[in-house]
Amino acid sequence: MSPSAVKTSHDQSTQDAVRAMSGGVGSAERLAIPVLEVADLAVSFDNSSGGPRIQAVNGVHMTLFPQQTLAVVGESGCGKSVTAMSTMQLIARPPGRFDRGSILFEGRDIVSLSEEEMLSIRGGKIAMIFQEPMTSLNPVYNIGDQLMEAIFLHQKVGPDEAKRIAVQAMKDVGIKKPEERLAMYPHQFSGGMRQRVMIAMALACRPKVLLADEPTTALDVTIQAQILELLRELQRTRDMGIMLITHNLGVVAENADVVCVMYAGRVVEYANVFELFDEPLHPYTRGLFRSIPMLRDTRERLVTIKDVTHDPAEFRKIPGVIPWWPDMPPGVRPEGAPDRDEHVLVEVRPNRWVGCWRTPELEARSHRRPSLDYRRGDR
Amino acid sequence: MLSYLLRRLAFMVPTLLGITLMVFMLLALAPGGIGAGLAVQGGQMSDTSRVAQMQAYLEDRYGLNDPVIVQYVRWLGRLSPVKFGTRDLRDGNGERVPAPRAIDDPPLATAFPVPAVTVPSLAIATGEGAIPQFKKLQRDAEGTRREYVGKVRLFKDAIADYARAAGSPLKERLNGKGGADPRDFSDVAFDHSNAAWPKLEKAAADMHTAHTAAVVAQVQATEAFHAHPYPTSGIPIIPDVVSLDTPDLGVAFSKNRPVWDLIAAALPVTLLINLIAFPISYLIAVPTGVLASVRRGGLFDTFSGFLYLSLYSIPTVLAGVFAIGFLANKQYLGWFPVSGLHESGSEAYTFMPFTDASGVWQRGYLLDTLWHVGLPVLCLVYGSFAVLSKQTRASMLDNFSADYVRTAKAKGVPRKDVVLRHVFRNSLLPLITMFVGIFPAMLAGSVVIERIFSVPGMGSLVIEAIDLRDRELILADTFLIACVNMLALLLADILYAAADPRVSYD
Repeated sequence: MSPSAVKTSHDQSTQDAVRAMSGGVGSAERLAIPVLEVADLAVSFDNSSGGPRIQAVNGVHMTLFPQQTLAVVGESGCGKSVTAMSTMQLIARPPGRFDRGSILFEGRDIVSLSEEEMLSIRGGKIAMIFQEPMTSLNPVYNIGDQLMEAIFLHQKVGPDEAKRIAVQAMKDVGIKKPEERLAMYPHQFSGGMRQRVMIAMALACRPKVLLADEPTTALDVTIQAQILELLRELQRTRDMGIMLITHNLGVVAENADVVCVMYAGRVVEYANVFELFDEPLHPYTRGLFRSIPMLRDTRERLVTIKDVTHDPAEFRKIPGVIPWWPDMPPGVRPEGAPDRDEHVLVEVRPNRWVGCWRTPELEARSHRRPSLDYRRGDR
Repeated sequence: MLSYLLRRLAFMVPTLLGITLMVFMLLALAPGGIGAGLAVQGGQMSDTSRVAQMQAYLEDRYGLNDPVIVQYVRWLGRLSPVKFGTRDLRDGNGERVPAPRAIDDPPLATAFPVPAVTVPSLAIATGEGAIPQFKKLQRDAEGTRREYVGKVRLFKDAIADYARAAGSPLKERLNGKGGADPRDFSDVAFDHSNAAWPKLEKAAADMHTAHTAAVVAQVQATEAFHAHPYPTSGIPIIPDVVSLDTPDLGVAFSKNRPVWDLIAAALPVTLLINLIAFPISYLIAVPTGVLASVRRGGLFDTFSGFLYLSLYSIPTVLAGVFAIGFLANKQYLGWFPVSGLHESGSEAYTFMPFTDASGVWQRGYLLDTLWHVGLPVLCLVYGSFAVLSKQTRASMLDNFSADYVRTAKAKGVPRKDVVLRHVFRNSLLPLITMFVGIFPAMLAGSVVIERIFSVPGMGSLVIEAIDLRDRELILADTFLIACVNMLALLLADILYAAADPRVSYD
């Protein structure tokens, strides 16, 4: 199914259809409640060379629903990983600091939770997998020890039951002969197998939210497809919300329901995957798509993002607002609203959010935070 | 694993050969050669003929006048558990009883004919009387041999005097030191009118008399030796060709005692001090290193780093003198004894503390010893914290930023468990490397500390041996340290495999 075929999928009817597919009205109601809401999150770090604090994330909003895959896209250093690490409260403080905002999970603000309270959430209710499967497992403990460590931490079970859960978790991620494999060490596994183990470990405690920080970057394409297929399948059976952090647009197009494009610690565009790919509204997103080389497109030089963001015309395409960009071409930057953050996320069309300059006119409007209870219907 | 171990153990043999050969050659190459210390000792005597006799005897006794490589092979042969030739005898103390050595023929037999020697027949005692008789004969053989070797030296000196008196061209045959090698004079027809002739003639006659006595004693002692007054040592593999025996480290020149006895006396002292010191330094340095890494950049990290490095910077010599001056000196604190390992009269103590008849509490042997080793242990320990603690800290910090630590945190592992179960466990490898280093150090002892506190440990023993050029003692010590070092490295490799499943030797 091509992205354009579900252009209207933000319609209520389509959403209902998706919910119906997931089974039952009760289920539908449950699925309509966000599992994770990041609101106006700002995180900064000490500057070790003595300059001003480094603002890694500056007013990020995103909402994750059960069974939904929210892809967070952006270049290195745009704040994707900091957002995910903040959700786990894995940011070392200091040097890190939560400046403002909240991360709501099950009605509680994660930012304000104590370390003890976080211990039960980390790994238990919110799990995370990382991009380096080769080094993400402890080399001196066997797979069983590491899997069962997570199980013992979050479930009150005896050793036999823990082993049974571990074996089941290994089976779920498609590892053959799990009983034997539990006694093996990470170095005896291939990269793809290790990432499966990481996923098994993350999912053994049936988390509500999975933060997948570039889970397939280090893997080859076939293994990448297998891992993502596996995640989709487990997500459906467990009502899990996945925050998929990546900079691979192919992975986004294949797997995401909703896409959040980030740049320089800000959300620049937020939309469902098909609408975004059909018609990117922010110049940066357009630049991102245009910079993808096409097989039949023969040109001397590929389009860079700068080619797009240096063109003033690109910033005048949406009526009433000017898209936000830190390095604006001359003449397009509007007058800002005094004493307020220069950036605001505006719903420029129904269910389409674009990061814009905060002007006095925009200041008067109320802004709905990005929230898309949408799941693609093609699977 | 087993085959790996065997292979490693087998590889130790050539390594040890190389090490001992190198040490042996270094000793031989040292100015003055192997016996220099002995020469100095001999040189303190005023009577030159006695000096000559003593030197000649010692060189002969320890085989120092043989080529270096022959000496080395002889040393190896004694050390080797596999022996070739007839088996040694061992006396009641387990000491090797050598066969009486052959007597060399007197030099210049053509110019100075050797009188024929007739050995009176001797009734070899058996049973009870065998050992006393053999001991007497052995003593006689040694005594007459010493006499003879000394006389040979005097004879050589007499030839040199003769050559000097005769002038050119005979004088040119003397070597650089003005000594004479009799072989260079075999074609000389000695001139009886030479001023030095009477002395030379007398020296030859003395030499021949001594030779006769030595040969008689040697033959008789050999006869008694072949009657096996002592049990033979070792296990024969092929009788009189190959046998197995306990390695023999030889006899220390300078003390005239078996090397093994000297080491057996000094080693427990060094081990005692080190076995108290090392656990203390590890038990303090490793936990503080871990804590410093957890609180990186914090007050504890800074303070412990500063303290340890300050301690590390104090030379042991200075610390030892201060420790004696302030802690042991009765005019100051006087908490510890100044030197030694035991109080005089401590032999009478029971092991544990006790209260004597007059109701006075007595320390007992154990506490007395601990009290005496207090300052040496202090001096051994204070400087060791810095390296060990910094190494632990660095190793921990390396692992804190590792991906699997992030994984563990993301699993919800509490911080304490992250530090101990994940980070510390992975930081063990460098600590193992440092840990096995203590074994050879234990054997070597600490020269400075043992000297300052007059502790009769391995360090004192070895420095004395080096002072006196005591070849057997130096060789035995380096050999043992080399053995322990290699075994320690092997232990390290085994521990690596235990600590890290990625390391495997199969």
